[in-house]
Amino acid sequence: MTAPALELRQITKRFDAQTVVDRVDLIVPRNEVVALVGESGSGKTTTGLMALRLVEPTAGRILLGGQDITDLSQKAMKPFRRQTQVVFQDSYSSLDPMMTLGEIIAEPLAIHAIGTPSERRDQARHWLERVGLDGSYATRYPHELSGGQRQRISVARALILGASVLVADEPTSALDVSVKAQIVNLLQDLQGEMGLSMLFISHDLSVVRSLADQVVVMLRGRVVERGPTDRIFAAAHHPYTRALLDAVPVIDPKTRRRRTFLSAEELAAGTPRFRPHEIEPQPLVDTADPQLVALVGSHFVEAIVTEGR
Amino acid sequence: MTDLSAAGPALPRPGSAKRRSPLYLAWRRFAANKAALGAGIILLVIILMAIFAPLVSKTGPNEQAFLTKALAFPSSEHWFGIDDLGRDFFTRIVYGARVSLGIGLSAAVFSLLLGLPLGALAGYLGGRFDWVIMRIIELFSVVPPLLAALLLATLTRGGVWAIVLIAGLFGWVNVCLLVRAQVKSFREKEFIMAAQALGASPWHIVWRHLIPNSVSPVIVGFVLAIPLAMMLEASLSFLGIGVQPPTPSWGQMINVGMNFMYFYWHMAVFPVLALAVTILAASLLGDGLRDALDPTLKGR
Amino acid sequence: MLQFIIRRTLSMLATFFVVSVIIFLMMHAIPGGPFDGYEMPLPDNIKAKLMAQLGLDKPLWEQYVRYMWGVFHLDFGVPYQSPGETVMGLIAHAWVPSLVLGGLGVLIGAPIGILLGMAAALNRNSWIDYLASGIATLGLTIPVFVISTLLILVFAVWLHWTPASGWGEPRRWILPIMAYAAVPLATYARYARSAMLDTLNKPFVTVLRAKGLSERRIIFQHVLRNSAIPMITIFLPMFVGIATGSIFVEAIFRVPGLGAYFVSSIQKRDYPLEMALMLMISALFCISYLISDILYALLNPRIRLGGKAR
Repeated sequence: MTAPALELRQITKRFDAQTVVDRVDLIVPRNEVVALVGESGSGKTTTGLMALRLVEPTAGRILLGGQDITDLSQKAMKPFRRQTQVVFQDSYSSLDPMMTLGEIIAEPLAIHAIGTPSERRDQARHWLERVGLDGSYATRYPHELSGGQRQRISVARALILGASVLVADEPTSALDVSVKAQIVNLLQDLQGEMGLSMLFISHDLSVVRSLADQVVVMLRGRVVERGPTDRIFAAAHHPYTRALLDAVPVIDPKTRRRRTFLSAEELAAGTPRFRPHEIEPQPLVDTADPQLVALVGSHFVEAIVTEGR
Repeated sequence: MTDLSAAGPALPRPGSAKRRSPLYLAWRRFAANKAALGAGIILLVIILMAIFAPLVSKTGPNEQAFLTKALAFPSSEHWFGIDDLGRDFFTRIVYGARVSLGIGLSAAVFSLLLGLPLGALAGYLGGRFDWVIMRIIELFSVVPPLLAALLLATLTRGGVWAIVLIAGLFGWVNVCLLVRAQVKSFREKEFIMAAQALGASPWHIVWRHLIPNSVSPVIVGFVLAIPLAMMLEASLSFLGIGVQPPTPSWGQMINVGMNFMYFYWHMAVFPVLALAVTILAASLLGDGLRDALDPTLKGR
Repeated sequence: MLQFIIRRTLSMLATFFVVSVIIFLMMHAIPGGPFDGYEMPLPDNIKAKLMAQLGLDKPLWEQYVRYMWGVFHLDFGVPYQSPGETVMGLIAHAWVPSLVLGGLGVLIGAPIGILLGMAAALNRNSWIDYLASGIATLGLTIPVFVISTLLILVFAVWLHWTPASGWGEPRRWILPIMAYAAVPLATYARYARSAMLDTLNKPFVTVLRAKGLSERRIIFQHVLRNSAIPMITIFLPMFVGIATGSIFVEAIFRVPGLGAYFVSSIQKRDYPLEMALMLMISALFCISYLISDILYALLNPRIRLGGKAR
């Protein structure tokens, strides 16, 4: 069995006294898209940044293609930087306003000293076209583009080195609906063509459903539920996941949406409870607190396991 | 404008693209600001006159060539009249521009030398270093600058270079704050993180991203430091502890002119106007540049 | 809130301590003591005796501690230039003209500036807006001694409306008050304009208009209240800056105020007076900033208390 493209083990981040990410386990298998969902402040962005070693974890390990990169110096990281890439949410601030689009796309090549300047220019043009923009855009500046076009530039820059792992941090949430679909399609196409493994961070479940193979739900720094996309959408157990699902817009106006807002108490009260025979056989911690338990079909949920009636 | 929302329509060939760079756009905004443009032109004329002072007037600034006509009022021959010591007053004013602008520019350079690295480091490193720098700046805000300058000027016994140093000592604060704010907002920009994700070295980030993006606050800080220094020089010279005679300085001339003001108005009016116009032009130019280079600050 | 006040106070005290040390050291770095520079140098033994009498032979830190101890008892020592008086007495005496003229200048200049700035904000891009911006730029960039000189030239020399020097009978106060008023007028015109524009562009004003509230009520009940905060908080530091006497205004109009004493104390190497003035003005600035910060926190419901100090 080959090692997964990206693996996070018990990754934890504390800022001062606040635990932003709390012992999160996460596996992105090769050629798969794993969606990390949750509301803002749930720690999903920090998790993504730690996977790239852009934020240093307080504890836990980061494995890239089976290799532990947690303690590598930034210098030793450099070869791994060719394998992992990132697309951010804010397309405007992710592009240097003083550089032309051609320079921006070719920057990775320049950093890794690949090719001559003219070869880099050709590559940049090639990639402009590959993300659906005209080659003449190379001499333009970011401020002349629309949000969707800028996001295409970010994608081109991310993939020009032939990365195998892409962390996409809410790449579509600042975009209009129609443009959103274009970017999702672009990511999907490139993922298929290049055999990318992707960690797709989002709070937009409609996008997640069409793109992701697996879904991981985070709440206040903890993973509360994870499983194959269809399982999550069909049979979510955690109240928070269900609340997120209820928030997805429905096209049919006749279907009345249930809007669910959950307070901390409601969440605590709604935490699923299982008796041991209802879940897969597994080692359990003897505690009254919720813990991640395995259900059928590699579906995990944070629940309380009780012996009671 | 071509429709930019569509993905990849055919667009004008490169070549026409150069004009759309951020600096070009800033220039267009600047040129639209009539007051700033006018101020820039006036300042340029004054600078040219200062540089080519020997060509502008026939006599030297300290030549007492017209002693017999001392204190004569302005005429077609002597545009600004003659001063109490028989010197052509227009010549004195023009040479005064050399002193005033020279001190302004040198002090601005000095402010930049201090403020740029400190501001960049404070913004980039943050934490303890930033704290120390901010506390130092707080000290400067509590001490009345003119009084302190006065004290320092007596301490150093005046002179051109002492004034440059003093003006720089008070001018760096603004430059530092501007650069710090820019670098700080910059650190949170995602293209820096993107570059880090690409494995860019700190050197690459500073050279390719930080420096090109810090050009605006540096220019603005530099230009705005000029009138401040000029004001300080004039103030100290006015009190007699700045530039020492016979070096022509507008502040000094105003001081002398005050004594003659009741009967020989030209002795006071021309240095006052020269100083006011130059400082005003430099300030308006700086404000205009700030608005043009950072449209988000407009109207402040 | 209390925690915020205590933290700001401590921070200001620390600032003041550093400033006082710097001022103290600067004073001692000035070449030449009070007994040098006379035409007939004093014999060395007499000089040493005088130095000992004034405590100038002790180590620096001890001099500092002694001095600051005195300062806390409002004892700033004896001015060298007039040993018959105390520095405190001299300052108390010189304060009056500065406070009266500077205070009147602020009290007259600030309201005019606010009205001007408001008018400019409400009539954007009209002649009054340009006038206000022009006045603000002039007042903030042109040195006050240039303004003073021009005032004398126009009103005293050419028009003969007012006397040119400024203390004594109130008629003489007019020109220095005008000179003093220039800076607050310009500052407030600029502040009021940008604060009003800021508020006028907020969505809640649009909502009020949409609700059909009269423009008058919107401006007087809502916009003014929301724009007032920055204007209130800059008042104190500005008042301190002006009422402690402008060197130039006082020199030009021959007002026997604090600024004038400051200049003469520098020329006469009068350490005690110089130091007392610098310390007092710095202390007043510290206090005014502190009060402004606290006022700002009290007036602005959104400020995050307990957050990091700016």
